Amino acid sequence: MRRVSRIVVAGLATAALAFSATACGSSSESGSKDKGIGLAYDVGGRGDHSFNDSAAKGYDKAKKDFKIGGKELTAKDGDTDADRYDKLASLAEEGYNPVIGVGYAWTPSLSKAAKKYKDTDFAIVDSVVDLKNVASLVSAEHEGSYLAGVAAGLKTKTNKVGFIGGTDSSLIKKFAGGFQQGLKDTNPKAALNVQWVQVGSAKGFGMPDRGKDIADGMLSNKVDVIFSAAGGSGAGAIEATAKKKGTWSIGVDGDQYYDKGLAQYKHTIMTSMIKTVDGSVYDFIKSVAKDKKPESGIQSYDLKRGGVSLSYSGGFIDDIKPKIEAAKKKIIDGKIKVADTYKD
Amino acid sequence: MKKFDKERMLLAVAAPLLAIVSAFLLTALVLAATGKAPFEAFGVMFEYGVKSDSQVYILNKATTYYLAGLAVAIGFRMNLFNIGVDGQYRLGAFFGAAAGGAMGLPGLVQIPLIILVAMLVGAMWASIAGLLKVYRGVSEVISTIMLNSLAGILISYLLVDGRLGVLDKQTNIVATKALPESSHFFTIPAGGDLDPIWGFIVVAVLAGVGFWFLLGRTRFGFDLRAVGRSESAAEASGVNVKRMVLSSMLLSGAMAGLIGMPTVLNDTHQFTADFPVGVGFTGIAIALLGRNSPVGIALAALLWGFLERGANRLEFEGYDKEIVGVMQGVIVLCVVIAYELVRRYGLKRQQQKVGAELAAQAKAAKSDKQEVPA
Amino acid sequence: MRRGTVHALVGENGAGKSTLMKILYGMQRPDEGTIALDGATVELHSPADAISRGVGMVHQHFMLADNFTVLENVVLGAEKLHGIGAKARARIKEISDSYGLGVRPDALVEELGVADRQRVEILKVLYRGARTLILDEPTAVLVPQEVDALFDNLRELKSEGLTVIFISHKLGEVLSVADDITVIRRGTTVASVVPSETNPRQLAELMVGSELPSPETRESTVTDQKMLTVDGLRLTATDVDGVERAVLDGIDFTIHKGEVLGIAGVEGNGQAELVEAVMGIRKPDVGVITLDGTDISQAPTRKRREDGIGYIPEDRHRHALLLEAPLWENRILGHVTEEPNSKGGLLNPGAARRDTERIVTEYDVRTPGIEVTAASLSGGNQQKLIIGREMSHHPKLLIAAHPTRGVDVGAQAQIWDQIRAARREGLAVLLISADLDELIGLSDTLRVMYRGRLVADADPCTITPEELGSAMTGAASGHLEGSADADAPADTVPAAAPADAAPAGGEDR
Repeated sequence: MRRVSRIVVAGLATAALAFSATACGSSSESGSKDKGIGLAYDVGGRGDHSFNDSAAKGYDKAKKDFKIGGKELTAKDGDTDADRYDKLASLAEEGYNPVIGVGYAWTPSLSKAAKKYKDTDFAIVDSVVDLKNVASLVSAEHEGSYLAGVAAGLKTKTNKVGFIGGTDSSLIKKFAGGFQQGLKDTNPKAALNVQWVQVGSAKGFGMPDRGKDIADGMLSNKVDVIFSAAGGSGAGAIEATAKKKGTWSIGVDGDQYYDKGLAQYKHTIMTSMIKTVDGSVYDFIKSVAKDKKPESGIQSYDLKRGGVSLSYSGGFIDDIKPKIEAAKKKIIDGKIKVADTYKD
Repeated sequence: MKKFDKERMLLAVAAPLLAIVSAFLLTALVLAATGKAPFEAFGVMFEYGVKSDSQVYILNKATTYYLAGLAVAIGFRMNLFNIGVDGQYRLGAFFGAAAGGAMGLPGLVQIPLIILVAMLVGAMWASIAGLLKVYRGVSEVISTIMLNSLAGILISYLLVDGRLGVLDKQTNIVATKALPESSHFFTIPAGGDLDPIWGFIVVAVLAGVGFWFLLGRTRFGFDLRAVGRSESAAEASGVNVKRMVLSSMLLSGAMAGLIGMPTVLNDTHQFTADFPVGVGFTGIAIALLGRNSPVGIALAALLWGFLERGANRLEFEGYDKEIVGVMQGVIVLCVVIAYELVRRYGLKRQQQKVGAELAAQAKAAKSDKQEVPA
Repeated sequence: MRRGTVHALVGENGAGKSTLMKILYGMQRPDEGTIALDGATVELHSPADAISRGVGMVHQHFMLADNFTVLENVVLGAEKLHGIGAKARARIKEISDSYGLGVRPDALVEELGVADRQRVEILKVLYRGARTLILDEPTAVLVPQEVDALFDNLRELKSEGLTVIFISHKLGEVLSVADDITVIRRGTTVASVVPSETNPRQLAELMVGSELPSPETRESTVTDQKMLTVDGLRLTATDVDGVERAVLDGIDFTIHKGEVLGIAGVEGNGQAELVEAVMGIRKPDVGVITLDGTDISQAPTRKRREDGIGYIPEDRHRHALLLEAPLWENRILGHVTEEPNSKGGLLNPGAARRDTERIVTEYDVRTPGIEVTAASLSGGNQQKLIIGREMSHHPKLLIAAHPTRGVDVGAQAQIWDQIRAARREGLAVLLISADLDELIGLSDTLRVMYRGRLVADADPCTITPEELGSAMTGAASGHLEGSADADAPADTVPAAAPADAAPAGGEDR
């Protein structure tokens, strides 16, 4: 009986809506506290082999270590700030704590949610929200990318290097800028070819075939090292590079040498610019769940803090390790100042 | 005559109802196939959808969708497929927001100015497709799709620190300069600690009334509908079809320019790189569902808002969030099919009725005639 | 219906002929009743069903792909029968020869004339193995000579044992070619007759159930006030091959108040373009059009209509109606800027509705109401509505292109009456028609159009349809000296019904 009436109710929903806009039902707010971690991914979500997955890794580990529950939500294309806010508010309302927004696109909605749910601890990855109950987990991508540029400058034989960005956003330009500077400082003769998968749209992070096309184009122009900071599109570039002898790809975000989806190409993944979103996410959860002293303010994950690094998996760049470590030290010591945006 | 009207009303309601019911059934099948109890899901959506904060969300969302539906419907009414509403809307919103950020006039002057800029930009972008169609015979479907891409590229070219954008170093977000406080549109308090309802809903309602009046009550509207029903007949009747194509494209584009205004004036107060994409395409679905009528579009926009609100909740309850996307897609498909079925049925039914009534008249006339000579 | 005969089906428009044919061809299902074919009761669910049982249909509007050859058109959809190559070609030749159709398989359809296209349609049906042919108003688009040729073909088919069902309005034709005639009215059979036992007049009366009209209008109302003057009109168009061709050339004529100028010509010789040029739908290259003393050469269509041109287009579905709109909106069409439809920029739906009610009553448009769509009316009633609409604005000039095409005898009479009445009040009429009796009967002056030029003129009092017909094929030019009084024996004329049916020519009332 109950079921049947629900069908009827659902069917009438539309008609009712038109007239019931003012008829107040109860608010959707309800729920108890302490359900665990609330994690809100950016478009693409878990399984993007990249940024979101990296956050998922930290989340998984924290769940296991601190024996707490959690709920994951994912933003979709075309979501407005209101939709994003709705997700964060749902998590907070239902008693999830901490609540983490993965990606800068959560900035306005998270700021609004944090103002409303003052007892919930929030964190935002890759952006800054200046509120007491928000930790802003930012990484120094440009510093890590500088090291990738050093490696590329040393390894290229044709003196032609490529960079594929998912989109021309300021975040991705941080990658490009650092990479460019590292390359030029190491190998002034090397030319850099920069391309965006999609201009002005985050869709460029989910187009592996476009990534492959762009990489193919670069390879046919004698480019022999390609660094892609393009989310899922980067997998296409890695595949293309693997098919041409003597060329290298550089992975991003996670250590893509160990990425199961890319296992067949791993012999050509020279290195990866690791951005430890998992680490920062894990640290933050730990501060809330275990230490009961939630992080707040800007948490900068730079080279010094180990927030970004270059991987040596596969041993392809072991031969140039001293030079890379030297560059790393200079950055940490402040002797090299890495630009955080890319200029043509 | 009364009977006819009643039946027509019934038929008019039948199509969307048929579409929605069959869409729900199909979605139920999909849900069942994924191993979830389908009607529980609908129950969740409904329970959540009627709560008071959901109602505010739906009304605000529907404001945007309603304008999008109207913009598309203007084209549809004369058989023009303005697929470019999305680009026109984004470009309009962008320039509107940029202009608003650059000015510091009192709200009473500045708000209308922002709206005007957005509408003008939307109309101009649409006019490119209109001119191409009129003078070069380029299908507006193709040209508007391409113009969508161009609009995206143009925005990302201009939305850069130092051009029309401002980079927030901390958040990495590039946006147009925020509107001054005075240019925020009024809101309607919804009571309690609920978010307010966007005041732009008033403008949307006015736009709906304007749409109805223009199309139903003016000569221009008649000409426009005539072209939509039969271009050849309209031309023979003295309508300048080319000018009509151009002016309806301009109107559609101007309306598209309005779509972004509730978001800019009532919500974000600036244009960011992640300004919602695809609202124009949603408008196509809504115009279809609403049968291009101002009231129908309003209902469709509310339904769409309701579905999206429900979608957010479904995901939270552990359902696949894609299911609502599936439902929306299925609704659009069902709408197209149901309308065609109902239209054919209605036409057949009417022809039968006309035949029957005429036969009855003829019979009556015959008996009259027989009486006269007698 | 007997095998090996030509069976004619006649009736007013809206009487149910088309519906009956659709049922026979499987396009519609009957509510009750059965169809028996060769003694066996059959149920036809679709045209494919009908074809497989040997029933084929030749539609009034040809269903051919213009840019295909005859061969391609014939095999289209029937590729399984004889393939698409040499075998198919041989079969087409065979059919063509055995029935004397004279079809060239490799000609492009767009190069063929109307009569040839019709033969291709017939061949298409025969190719699919039809033993029963349904022809829906096959003569509507043909000139008398072509009609004769078609009838020869039909007799050929009949002699080969095929059955032909022939639908027509033109009773003279029916009588000359049919073996049996069934008359239907308002959906029921009212009579079955044999041609030898009846005459056109009787037959027509059976059809309408009342006295018959005539298009004759002899008392002249022509004045010497010029209403429309067309001077040196020339219009070129680029055809499909990219060659620029004059569609209209050196057109000069004048229509006075109270005059009906009839233009005869085989379709496609520029009549449609002439009408569109006068209406302002097409822009002529050179030429001056003067209406009631005002040069309107540059005026847009709407201005011309406001200035007093009424327009009854040739194709009412495409040019005169919004089929899916209600009648009262159709009443506004073309006159949206005029009273009572609008005031200022605003529509006045109330007044338009009331005026539509008036038109429906005055012009006897048979409809249950003004809210029904135009599509649900029969052709004749649609036409009456259009004429009512155009006349309601008291035009100075009426352009009537085929005003009675596809219209039943009853409505035809009304339409003629209305044109005549308006003419008496000083209306100038430009009449284009393929119905030569209508042309001769209504016109005060006749001109013949051939390949975009006005090549001949004639006096409608003396000319016969045959003489006019031969001028239309380009065989004669200049002033045609009619000899109608000498040799117009009505009983041998296989032309349109009304003239035949009317008291013999010249017997003025």
